[in-house]
Amino acid sequence: MTNDGGWFDRFVDSLPERGWFKFLSTYVVVPYWVWRDPKPKLPGGPRASAQPSENVQRMMNLIMPLKDSSPIGRAKAALAIAQNVDEIFAGLDNVGTVHTARFLLLDDYICMISVYDGDFSNYIRDFIATIGSVFDEVVSLVEGGDDLIPTTHNVERFIDWVHAHDLFQAPDFPTDLFGLQDTASGRSPDSPPHELRSLPRELILQLNANPNISLGGGYRAYPGFSAAQVRGKFGVGW
Amino acid sequence: MNTEFDSNDLQGNILRGYRRDLVRYLILEVDNPAAARRFLAAAVAGNNDAVPAITREKSWTRKPGFCFNIGLTYEGLRALGTPSDCLATFPTEFVQGMTHRAIKLGDFGTSAPANWAPPFNHPERVHVVASVYANDTPQLDQVQDQVARAFNVLGVRNGYNLEDDKVYFGYVDNISQPRFNRIDDPDQAKVDEPIDPLGTILLGYPTRFEDVLFRVPSPAELGHNGTFNAFRILAQDVAGFERYLDTAADALLRHPDVDQLLAPGEEDRIGAGLDRHGALREIVAAQMCGRWRNGVSYEASPDAAVVPDPRAPKFRTNFDYDRTSRCPAGSHMRRVNPRGGPIVQRIANYTRRLVRRGMSYGPRDVDPRKPENDDQEWGLLGNFIGANLGAQFEAVMCDWLNLGLQDPNITGSNDPLFGANSPESSWFDLTLRNGGTIRLRGFPRFVTTRGGAYLFLPSLPAIRYLSELNG
Ligand code: HEM
Repeated sequence: MTNDGGWFDRFVDSLPERGWFKFLSTYVVVPYWVWRDPKPKLPGGPRASAQPSENVQRMMNLIMPLKDSSPIGRAKAALAIAQNVDEIFAGLDNVGTVHTARFLLLDDYICMISVYDGDFSNYIRDFIATIGSVFDEVVSLVEGGDDLIPTTHNVERFIDWVHAHDLFQAPDFPTDLFGLQDTASGRSPDSPPHELRSLPRELILQLNANPNISLGGGYRAYPGFSAAQVRGKFGVGW
Repeated sequence: MNTEFDSNDLQGNILRGYRRDLVRYLILEVDNPAAARRFLAAAVAGNNDAVPAITREKSWTRKPGFCFNIGLTYEGLRALGTPSDCLATFPTEFVQGMTHRAIKLGDFGTSAPANWAPPFNHPERVHVVASVYANDTPQLDQVQDQVARAFNVLGVRNGYNLEDDKVYFGYVDNISQPRFNRIDDPDQAKVDEPIDPLGTILLGYPTRFEDVLFRVPSPAELGHNGTFNAFRILAQDVAGFERYLDTAADALLRHPDVDQLLAPGEEDRIGAGLDRHGALREIVAAQMCGRWRNGVSYEASPDAAVVPDPRAPKFRTNFDYDRTSRCPAGSHMRRVNPRGGPIVQRIANYTRRLVRRGMSYGPRDVDPRKPENDDQEWGLLGNFIGANLGAQFEAVMCDWLNLGLQDPNITGSNDPLFGANSPESSWFDLTLRNGGTIRLRGFPRFVTTRGGAYLFLPSLPAIRYLSELNG
């Protein structure tokens, strides 16, 4: 955007703050764009990387819609987790690649947030193999979850399902969004190259397909180490 | 779940190797679905002289002249007319295909699918990979002619067994394989490794993970008794590898701890007539692989490649790893099969087993170790077979072979022989007698992916099912 202000530029820049324009864009312009140029929902979780340090301490933000989000339904969810704390610790111990995991009740969702090492599918599969019954209980509270039970017999589907409910992680370099959208639509990334100008529009369209996202992949305060490396260094065994 | 199985229903290359001298892979496109289906019908029935019969698992009384088997990609299943609701029951990694999993598999840089050799640079056209095993070339040619009448032959890859089951880089291969209940394999008679459940290698049976069943694609006729195969064309930089062994041995000779690696005067135990430099080269090669080049397990014999009976089971297969192992945690063997040894993912020991069938390729009349032949290519035509590509092949590739998540002491490093290395970042820790280590650095990527495909290996009833589709 230019800073040296002709009156027209100043006018355009002020559009997002004008009530009539907000109305027009929300109810006419964006729906029209979405219809003309729909974006596939982008897949969740961290993206595969050639860089070893990028493949440890990865973030999962699993957002699952509750079947019953009334206080009674929420209490059931709270109980399901509370009753399985021992199993969860046993799972963390046997899978060995998780740094932290927590569950949240947030509006109409139950969320599982974790930091894990390595490949997402391996992490989920090893967990199902260790404490599948806990996952069964959690997904039984969730819309669309019944088809996945028992998870030990639906490993492939469960992994795909979790992947679909894991939040899309917006790239740290905003322009990387173009390539991700191209790939998701089956085009080769960035050929032809995109105009930088179109980035805000593409972002709005993408947020229509992925309304809940993670802003960036999460930030580490120190370089990536695996959970086992941390445990090893502190002498607590791995 | 139907756990009964009739070995006559299986393709013959899954549970054992054929041990033929030659292999030819025919990479095929289905350009005339009706003709392809007629071919498959005749190949299953085995009653048509103009069509090669699919070789079955059933043990034969007289060895057939050739063995013939097929694997199909997702695109291939679709081209034959598999209905979309059935296609939707195949696992995601197979649906996406090998090229879409490139980063996970370490296929970037020179190994990126965009750089693969034809026809693998057009994965959407690769529908069927047929394999023909025989002891002479005219047999292979004859089968190829027959196949070419029903399919468009996009490409051909020829492989052969090197002497003594060796692979380029000089190691004896084809020693460790999973073994299965109810399968009587004379090659494995004296092996005391744990038995692997049939679900490791066939769809529709219990797996090594307690209670876990992998999804059988539907209809059951199509999925049951099938399995998956990661077919890989892996070019090996033989001259580069030998050059690196020289560099490493030069550096080790000057290293203060070198006597902990090789006690002075013990060179003969590494190889008759070797000087110190030559013996150190072999130690580096052995620790990187986990076997001496003659096949003797490094764990079973860390100080000597020369043993009275290198083919004795204790040197070949009957050993395990522990926290005091001399075999480096970063070696190829320990990465791809940690056996009962300590790993971070405690649940995962023995769950990622792979059946391997491979033969070498490349010009046989030139020496691959000579730098002047650098423009030629040698390597391995590898098949990594298992009931679940994600849980086995990919799981090994992305977390163990590369990255090294299974042991904090190797995390962040790749398989020294077959990983996605670059000289700037590669490292490998040699183990010493006193428990210490010497870190090697600066080795390049020795193996480059040149092509490949994820294949479904259907049972005989499944091939019949495919032959009866229409559309
Ligand atoms: C050019 C590529 C490769 C070559 C030349 C090669 C060579 C070897 C050799 C010499 C051995 C020891 C012999 C034996 O125990 O049978 C071995 C073992 C093995 N390799 Fe590889 N390898 C290659 C790539 C791979 C890849 C990509 C994987 C897995 C994804 C793999 C999986 C295995 C397994 C599972 C074993 C048996 C280990 C055990 O059971 O203890 N290899 N390989």
